Amino acid sequence: MKIVYQNIHLANSHTLAVYEANGGYQAVLKAFELGSDEVIEEVKRSGIRGRGGAGFPAGMKWSFIPKNDPRPKYLTCNADEGEPGTCKDRDIIRYDPHRLIEGMIICGFAVGIQQAYIYIRGEFYRETERLQAAIDEAYAKGYLGDNIFGRKIRFHLAIHRGGGAYVCGEETGLIESLEGKKGQPRLKPPFPANIGLYGCPTVINNVETLASIPSIIERGGAWYGALGVPKSSGTKIFSVSGHVNRPGNYEVELGIPMKTLLEEHAGGVRGGWGNLKGVIPGGSSSPILSAEVCATITMDYDAMAKAGTMLGSGAVIVLDKSVCIVRAVARLSRFYRHESCGQCTPCREGTGWLAQIMTRMEAGHGTLEDIDLLSDICNNISGKTICALGDAAVGPVMGALRAFKEEFIYHVEHGRCMAG
Amino acid sequence: MATVIIDGKEIDVKAGTTIMEAAKLLDIYIPHFCYHPKLPIAGNCRMCLVEVEKMPKPVISCAMPVNDGMVVKTDSEMVRTARKGVMEFLLINHPLDCPVCDQGGECSLQDLAMKYGPDRSRFHDHKRHVPNYDLGPIIETEMNRCIHCTRCIRFSEDVSGVEQMGAVYRGDHMQVGPFVESRLDSELTGNLAELCPVGALNFKPFHFQARGWELKHADGICSHCSVGCHTRMDHLDGRILRVMSRSWNEGNETWLCDKGRFALDGLANERLTAPMVRASQGGELKKVSWPEALDQAAKILKSVKPEEVAGLASDAVQGGEELFAFQDLMRNVLGSGHIDHRLRQRDFSADELPLTRADLLMNTPLASLNGADAIVLVGFDPRFETPILNIRLRRATQAGARVVSVGARKLNTNLLNVTEVVVAPGGEVARLNAALQALDHDEACAEDPVAALLKGAKKPVLLLGEGANVHPEAEALRRVSVALLDKVGGIGPNWNGYNRVAARANAAAAQDLGVVPHRGAGYTRLERMGMNASQILEAAASGQVKVLFLLGVDPLDEALDRDLARRALSKARVIYLGAFYGSAAQKAEVVLAGLAPGERPMTLTNGEGRVQRSARAVNGPLEAKEDWRILRALSDRFAAPLGYNDLEALRKKMAASDHRYDLSRLGPGESAMACDHSPVTRGLPVTVSAAAESGAAMQLLMVSSFYRDDPVAARSKVMGQLARDGRLRIHPDDASGLAIVQDGLVRVLSGERKIEVRADLDRRVPHGVVIGDLGRGENATRELGDYSNGYPRVSLVALPG
Ligand SMILES: Cc1cc2nc3c(=O)[nH]c(=O)nc-3n(C[C@H](O)[C@H](O)[C@H](O)COP(=O)(O)O)c2cc1C
Ligand code: SF4
Ligand code: SF4
Ligand code: SF4
Ligand code: FES
Repeated sequence: MKIVYQNIHLANSHTLAVYEANGGYQAVLKAFELGSDEVIEEVKRSGIRGRGGAGFPAGMKWSFIPKNDPRPKYLTCNADEGEPGTCKDRDIIRYDPHRLIEGMIICGFAVGIQQAYIYIRGEFYRETERLQAAIDEAYAKGYLGDNIFGRKIRFHLAIHRGGGAYVCGEETGLIESLEGKKGQPRLKPPFPANIGLYGCPTVINNVETLASIPSIIERGGAWYGALGVPKSSGTKIFSVSGHVNRPGNYEVELGIPMKTLLEEHAGGVRGGWGNLKGVIPGGSSSPILSAEVCATITMDYDAMAKAGTMLGSGAVIVLDKSVCIVRAVARLSRFYRHESCGQCTPCREGTGWLAQIMTRMEAGHGTLEDIDLLSDICNNISGKTICALGDAAVGPVMGALRAFKEEFIYHVEHGRCMAG
Repeated sequence: MATVIIDGKEIDVKAGTTIMEAAKLLDIYIPHFCYHPKLPIAGNCRMCLVEVEKMPKPVISCAMPVNDGMVVKTDSEMVRTARKGVMEFLLINHPLDCPVCDQGGECSLQDLAMKYGPDRSRFHDHKRHVPNYDLGPIIETEMNRCIHCTRCIRFSEDVSGVEQMGAVYRGDHMQVGPFVESRLDSELTGNLAELCPVGALNFKPFHFQARGWELKHADGICSHCSVGCHTRMDHLDGRILRVMSRSWNEGNETWLCDKGRFALDGLANERLTAPMVRASQGGELKKVSWPEALDQAAKILKSVKPEEVAGLASDAVQGGEELFAFQDLMRNVLGSGHIDHRLRQRDFSADELPLTRADLLMNTPLASLNGADAIVLVGFDPRFETPILNIRLRRATQAGARVVSVGARKLNTNLLNVTEVVVAPGGEVARLNAALQALDHDEACAEDPVAALLKGAKKPVLLLGEGANVHPEAEALRRVSVALLDKVGGIGPNWNGYNRVAARANAAAAQDLGVVPHRGAGYTRLERMGMNASQILEAAASGQVKVLFLLGVDPLDEALDRDLARRALSKARVIYLGAFYGSAAQKAEVVLAGLAPGERPMTLTNGEGRVQRSARAVNGPLEAKEDWRILRALSDRFAAPLGYNDLEALRKKMAASDHRYDLSRLGPGESAMACDHSPVTRGLPVTVSAAAESGAAMQLLMVSSFYRDDPVAARSKVMGQLARDGRLRIHPDDASGLAIVQDGLVRVLSGERKIEVRADLDRRVPHGVVIGDLGRGENATRELGDYSNGYPRVSLVALPG
């Protein structure tokens, strides 16, 4: 079942002509007919949850924007795609930018927004060019601008390129960056729905979330809600990377068994299922699952939470038995140390400490006390920071300690890796 | 309202109150680093985490608003664990060099580490190293100790409006400091060190001077401007080493300006340590005993007729006690009515009128200035006359108030929404009168920036500053200001926006206690008016006044016309009572060594007319005496001595002449009322003289040098480093026409007088005007000033070299 990626196999799928030839820009017209409240209802009915990582229901988020507020409102599309392992938004932007634009127009109409931004990661240079070209096409056609689709509706859209900071993918860090400041997340509350960009009510959604909207409106929230499993409705794109035979982006219904995803869609684990060591299921910050768990788990929000990890951004990183877990975690810890904005104490000091210990451990200079220390540090960061980057940094370490503690002990005792 | 339960105690608070503030009301202390009651919330240190029932994670109490029915635990297992974790994180990269840290003993990190810190470090990796910066004469940095609380950054951005501090880099490489290394360009830099919870930002002048726990403390009132900030004087072994702020919500909140904090090293320079007498005219001053000195002073005073004696007093360093005793002595013991403190004032025409206290002081309490919605500054540079008052105005502008500044120069301001109306020197009266007329006509009103601002304002304020108070037509300017404000309803029982802001710390006490020729203490009318400051100097120079009795004032530094002051001092016999050896003591026949602020209890009345008491912190020089006791002892040598033998009795006398000085009526912890005075006099006719014609020559405007403008500050080395005085400021365009270059030597001629001075090219100086300062030293531009000629026309010649 393909929704977001339904067109990407077509030649010139990124152009307005191909998008329209395949039914594009019809949902927005339907949205105008439905009226703004009903559009929000449809999105609520679909049950779609945010695809950026946190999984917050999109319809609910839109309905939080205060009505009858004199301030302007903003829509910001999060195209920062910074979570290691994630590359799904990129293909939407490259191959079907108009789907995103249409989704944004619908959101803008539903919430009463006249100005929207796409915050795109700086490294997406070609992607920005293509997105800009699509926006230009939409402006030329009158789909964006002061009187879109010939109606008295105003909707403007502009791209802002980020500077490559992971933390600018965090919604309030993104807002700060968009405002021209250093990308440091804000305290919440207040939430962006009330005080967001330039102090005004702001909707922030991920690219995939917004690109799902046209189909939801076109075919109805109930239709979408019936896909997938309860509380994890619809389809989700999984960026499968690592030791599989056919890494890539796969859009499947939520709730699919992980094994099916890896074996049937991604060409199977390198060297066979028996060679699987573990899977990081939802981007680098989600705790790793052992092969044993992977054999039975399904790809949906609840199952992941129950297993002590998360669906996150849908980046499935597959590790086979050649992988040294300690080394992999050390690498990720250095990433989080580098990407911490430095604002709040536990994350600033804790990520640096974790990275130093992990690096030492990897080099064979760890002690058994360090293993306890690692989990203490994780506990002292977790849930005590301004933004979720602190928790994200803790994820890989905690997950590895839970699933692969013996590898840490082996490292300490032998000064080298089990995997050779 | 919301009812919350914190640690089992219930309290009702306003909705929106944070848990931290609610806990404070319950006297529950929640440890914190980044929270500061007067700064925007940052929530970054995470030390203040508390447990809230029904919330899965601990929340930061400094930012979390209370909800009705919220149950908070500030000392649960969850909270203690969280705090321990934060403490450990803060310490891993901290150098822990407490033994050599100025903050040691007064450090939040040290204190909280005692309670929550581990006794042994689990950190065995690499500690961070951060570079230090040279931030100028006030702040010493040791950035390794920084805990990234961003208080300094928030202060710089929010309060001082100078965005020089920031954080660069990320993660554990984050560094707090100036974006570009340079001295901090602010009058409020000392607050950074006071705010910094650790020893990262320290006071340079106090660096390595003492350990915090050795210091003794005395509650002071700052005597460097008319705000009257509350200070704590920290002293050791008879020396004041450091001045800290005392929290005072109605005034300085928790801030002090750099002058108030760091001018104190001036207290130790050029001090008079013992009474001295000059044996013969032109002879040397010799140390003598007190009885000898007083006898000699009495002899001089008795050798002339009472009306041949005149007294001048300082309103900057003298307390209300001395000021009261001085006028008491002059009038009632010596029988002379010639007494004044207004050596800078040019226009004394208002002395003829029964002006009230309200006409002469502020009527909007400092604490209410934040609420103003329209601000008119007349000849007022609030940032460099009364910096802490300026913070209030800045707060108002942050909340949306607009400002129009009317004056002869552009300001270096940190207020927002400012329109500068620059007039030719002296043109303020005409300008405001035009605004007054414009208020009657909608069209004209829209075009006149002052009228447009005031019209429709709900809480307008108008502040007259030094430029207005020393104006040649000061009274006309004052009246037109009153009329203007009155017309828009700005002078009423509920809101009174008329403010005359004196530059000097105790000018209000001098007014109240009768150190003026036309009124006695407590605004009593006199049968006969004495001579004012300018007349006294003229009379002394001409020989009509034969003895000048100077209380703490050095006319060569203080008077507008230095040449006249010099002639007066060389002609008359001079008795000088004061703490400092300056040009007045050099000329005096008798020198009576008094004390300086901090060395004696003193009453200071601030610009709001609030009567405040500053304690004694240290003893002065061994043989120097409390000034009023010297006056009292001197009076013993006359027929009717002063009627008080101790401080209590003197203060009773002061209170009897002005009830506002009766502080016994105040309860403990209460401070005297601000703006405790009758209404402003309204309806006085407004007069506008013909506008001065602009001629070919440049006009000289003289302004005081903020950092050097009182006897203590003038002697402070630290202030010397901050001040940019001693130069003639000129617009670059005017300069280039005259071949004057930056730092080049210029001869300035005005009639007979001439000086040579270096030039400072400054775009803020209006065309056709040069700005000099009322500085000290030999070639000060004040050599060119006189009382009658408001803004002298000068010609400039560029000199080689
Ligand atoms: C450290 C951090 C990085 C994040 N990076 C991204 C990102 O690159 N892209 C994204 O869509 N969401 C990212 N998020 C999630 C956003 O904060 C936010 O939840 C999301 O954009 C909301 O959109 P959604 O509801 O449509 O998922 C990140 C969150 C954190 C804490
Ligand atoms: S958790 Fe890390 S990234 Fe987030 S605000 Fe704190 S320091 Fe910055
Ligand atoms: S220098 Fe001091 S005030 Fe500034 S961030 Fe560091 S610890 Fe805080
Ligand atoms: S503002 Fe005035 S009273 Fe306050 S500290 Fe500065 S000089 Fe002293
Ligand atoms: S005091 Fe609350 S986070 Fe610092």
